[in-house]
Amino acid sequence: MPSVKKDSAVVLVGTKKGGFIFHSPDRRRWSVQGPYCAGMPVYHMILDPRDGRTVYAVAPNPGEVWGPGLYRGRLGSGLALSKAAPKFKEGSGLALTRIWHLEPGLPDSPDTLYAGVEPAALFRSDDRGDSWDGFDALNHRPGRENWQPGFGGLCAHSVLVGPRDPRHLVVGISSVGTFESRDGGESWTTENGNVRAGFLPNPYPETGQCIHHLTWDSAGDGSIFHQNHCGTYHRGPQGGAWTEITKGLPSDFGFAIAADPLHARTAYVAPLVGGENRVPPKSQLAVWKTTNAGRTWRRFTQGLPGPAAYMGVLREAMATDAKDPVGVYLGTNTGQLYASRNEGESWKAMSVTLPPILSVSAGIAR
Amino acid sequence: MESRVSAGELARLGVTVRIPTTLRAYTDGQDEVLLEGTDLAALLRRLDDAFPGIRERVVDETGAPRRYVNLFVNDELVREPLPAVHLSAGDVVHILPSVAGGSLA
Repeated sequence: MPSVKKDSAVVLVGTKKGGFIFHSPDRRRWSVQGPYCAGMPVYHMILDPRDGRTVYAVAPNPGEVWGPGLYRGRLGSGLALSKAAPKFKEGSGLALTRIWHLEPGLPDSPDTLYAGVEPAALFRSDDRGDSWDGFDALNHRPGRENWQPGFGGLCAHSVLVGPRDPRHLVVGISSVGTFESRDGGESWTTENGNVRAGFLPNPYPETGQCIHHLTWDSAGDGSIFHQNHCGTYHRGPQGGAWTEITKGLPSDFGFAIAADPLHARTAYVAPLVGGENRVPPKSQLAVWKTTNAGRTWRRFTQGLPGPAAYMGVLREAMATDAKDPVGVYLGTNTGQLYASRNEGESWKAMSVTLPPILSVSAGIAR
Repeated sequence: MESRVSAGELARLGVTVRIPTTLRAYTDGQDEVLLEGTDLAALLRRLDDAFPGIRERVVDETGAPRRYVNLFVNDELVREPLPAVHLSAGDVVHILPSVAGGSLA
């Protein structure tokens, strides 16, 4: 098994039957390691950007029945269970069933991790996942009893930590909406202005929106891209109501959205026909890109499958690396992994024989 | 490593807990352990005292068995809340994962 060379691009793929790590110094020829947590669904797997060497993964502990687990290890070696997974306080009436998303803290807090979980809640660890504390003001927020799950469950699947201020936190919960804190989680506001919930009697409620994925705009000013069950959105640095940016896309439905880390106002989406038919429009898998916060979109299909392509792309299954030009990676729920090393213009298959892909993340080895 | 005991010792000493293969990492490989406990909830806490972390694999934060974990006392599937399941010396508690046949996984 070749070792992972410094400055290699690393693509971490969580699948229904284990995690896989692809790495390449030139993004042309890829080596693969794994499966990690073999046979188990790996919901999210990341390379810690703070050291470029630590790998974290979330999967059941062990087997499907014994509850969620956090796994940790060094790039190129095995993963081992951390001492503890997040859990609710006994007596809260809540029991954790799945960890959906891991988010590293800022560079000046190298042991900090955030976890978005099901049932919807946010936890933080300051010892690399060996112990966890919940954000009670969010996790036990009044009105929680009215939160309704999406088809994937009542989950906190998107966690954003302010790149300049870790007290700025944004969490996406399905199907409840976006919550934001600017005081480190002591208090939270709902941030669902102008976001449609077309499946409810009131299509613009305070909460009830079916968030699919959130990601910072790399402008670094607090702007956010947002893929929803009902449209695609962008929110500017001042916060407040979202701007719907669906116009120009072939549908208002999709799960994945990934920001370009080097170019502000730039993001990639993989639209699907709709909630009742989660396949690519015109049976051609395509990635659409905006470079102006959604005012216009371009469609890319070169190297992607179709026509007669009927796969889906899940919410966590698209990622970008920070190389120049930026690499974009896309996984399908039929086990195909595609890479673009020219910012979406053209694509190549990295593997077409993986289990169904649940998550894709990317980083640079150090 | 196993810790089998005779029937006479069982009756005198306490309750046997049979450990499934996937949880033996917690018990240093032991496939059964002998504990004291007057009800099933207390027994699992004793088990966790001896082998920290194992209880959380069996029950969730509400104290109920996880969705796909079955507990048996002798040959009887436990359906009651665990504190209501009284135990006697000589009982055998089985911790078993559900069989997942037919799952889309």
